[in-house]
Amino acid sequence: MDLLQPRKRFAFTGQGGDLFSVLIVNWLLTIVTLGLYYPWAKARKLQYYYEHSELDGHPFHFHGTGREMFKGFIKAVLLIVLVFGPFYVGSILQKPMLMIGGLILLLVGSMALFPLIIHGSYRYRSSRSSWRGIHFGYRGILKELYSICLRDGFITLVTCGLYSAWLQMNVRSYVLSHLRYGSSRFTYKGDGGDYFLLNLKGYFLTLFTLGIYFFWWMKDRFNYYVDNLSWTVGEGADQRTMRFRSTATGGDMFALMVVNFLIVVFTLGIGLAWAEVRLMRFALSNIEMVGDADLDKVVQTEDEHKNALADDLGDLMDFDIFL
Amino acid sequence: MERKAPAIYYDGLTSKPWEALVSVHGSNTLEVSVVGADGRPETFHWPMEHKGLQWERSGNHMLRLHFGDHPRKVLIVRDELFVQSFALRMRYSGRQGTYDRVLSAARSGPALFFLAVIGLLVGGYLWALPWASERLALLMPRSMDVQLGDAMYAGMAPSLNEDTARSAILQRFADQLQVAPGFKPTFHYVSDDQVNAFAMPGGHIVVFSGIAEKMTKPGQLAALLAHEGTHVEERHSTRMIMRSMGSYVFLSLLLGDLSGVVGVIAQNADNIRGMGYSRSLESEADATGQERMKAGGVDPEGMVHLLELLEQEAQDMPEELSFLSSHPLTKERIAKARAKAAELGQVNVADSLQATLFEQLVKP
Repeated sequence: MDLLQPRKRFAFTGQGGDLFSVLIVNWLLTIVTLGLYYPWAKARKLQYYYEHSELDGHPFHFHGTGREMFKGFIKAVLLIVLVFGPFYVGSILQKPMLMIGGLILLLVGSMALFPLIIHGSYRYRSSRSSWRGIHFGYRGILKELYSICLRDGFITLVTCGLYSAWLQMNVRSYVLSHLRYGSSRFTYKGDGGDYFLLNLKGYFLTLFTLGIYFFWWMKDRFNYYVDNLSWTVGEGADQRTMRFRSTATGGDMFALMVVNFLIVVFTLGIGLAWAEVRLMRFALSNIEMVGDADLDKVVQTEDEHKNALADDLGDLMDFDIFL
Repeated sequence: MERKAPAIYYDGLTSKPWEALVSVHGSNTLEVSVVGADGRPETFHWPMEHKGLQWERSGNHMLRLHFGDHPRKVLIVRDELFVQSFALRMRYSGRQGTYDRVLSAARSGPALFFLAVIGLLVGGYLWALPWASERLALLMPRSMDVQLGDAMYAGMAPSLNEDTARSAILQRFADQLQVAPGFKPTFHYVSDDQVNAFAMPGGHIVVFSGIAEKMTKPGQLAALLAHEGTHVEERHSTRMIMRSMGSYVFLSLLLGDLSGVVGVIAQNADNIRGMGYSRSLESEADATGQERMKAGGVDPEGMVHLLELLEQEAQDMPEELSFLSSHPLTKERIAKARAKAAELGQVNVADSLQATLFEQLVKP
């Protein structure tokens, strides 16, 4: 249908051996410094990923530094101690009152942190990312994100989790629709109902096919993410939109996941770098943009935001925001 | 670097990429020439020693240069020759960071580098770590041993059936010997059939009647107390705790999980009663114990008699191996104790007080 439309492609140019060198140096320095190097290691790894991700032949860049992530890391550790500390101290000292109070603090605290982590991480990561010298940015408002999370989170609890598809789509739509690249902006149109049916179908077909359909289910989720995203450049009459499109197939997803699993298992984890490179190649080479927007016309608009607290907090709480 | 290398330039104002040529001008200035929107070439200079000039390279295939504050001007060079000579120049001018140097080493032979790192880690784990954690243990104040031992003993005391009258006799017997001069050990005589005795850090030493009643000579009791006293005096428990904590912290760092460090302290404190010391610590307790016996005027040959008694016990009562199971290779230990006794020489003292106390202690 849009065969005649111009298209732009993403690509990942990283190599397993290269990434392996980066990871092993990170590993070494983290151990030698008794873990203090961790934020720098994270910055190096992200820099590698961004530097080797290309759109239309131009690499992305991650501007985050170990130093600012270290500051965020320290703050995040303190915050975690404040939220999780009372419960642990209570259970070690066997003080029931402190334990119950601590548990309530822990549950309420981690739920309250959830939108904060998403908001802060998007602000930080987007502001520290650039392409062709223009920075990304996030202009969502924390209060609005909180109200979405509270409303949908409550309905999700009441419906025993059935509503989580809507929660996820509403949060994702809000966040991605407030993402900017300089003067241009992104839009995500995910619908909770569609996403719910997609997962329902995936779940049952995976059961009926003894797991084989799982890879096609994962492909559908990936495609749902990509296909509903668009990028608008220009204002008024000059406004043009690029649509993101996924070319991933279930067969590709199957090959990716099975081979990656085998690589990691049979190399006892040493092959992780190669598995990661395969994953990045799969993801980026299967995304293309269709449309006639002029990508040269974007103007720098976004300020720098250097507070990495939320990003590190998400890390410590093992909470993956970006997928 | 007279050569002009092709590059892509982003001005930080719009997303338009500009074709550019880059070369080194003079001794330490980068010259960038860009053909601007109006078709007129524009040339500018970036001093290479300026702090505002940042650079990153991925191997030899890409170099990224930034200049100025946000929004930065960016130059991307994919010319291998230029990247290589630029990196060399930065190395000589001292602007190559440690990280870039380590990464270059890793890149030039990832497999070799990996093996070297593994070797370093294994070496660290096997030698450097025990050494460092023992040094750390010795830095801990002795009062910490005492507090730890008191707390542990208080937790255990209700389950022990202590014979206080005999404990007093045992205490007098031990005080003669000075088995742990750096601490003030308290001795507990406990009615229990186990052929066992153990020491807590900082000074509580427990002797079960099961072992004392098997003894025939005061020298054996002196040897037992000297052995346990050495565990206290040389702070073997603290050293063991620090060692296993060191290993734990090391492994957690390796696997990136620090959640269990608190747990390991609790677990270790709990395990001490049943914990066997390492073989080298047992040998140390035997040998140092013998020296202390000699200093206290007791024949070091007593250690040989004690170990022979234990060996005998092991054969007679295979089900009661608790003391022996943590004291492996009794034959070897007997031989060592015999050699040590010969080395120290005989002590001919017939201490009547010790003999009397011993009689009172073991008599039914």
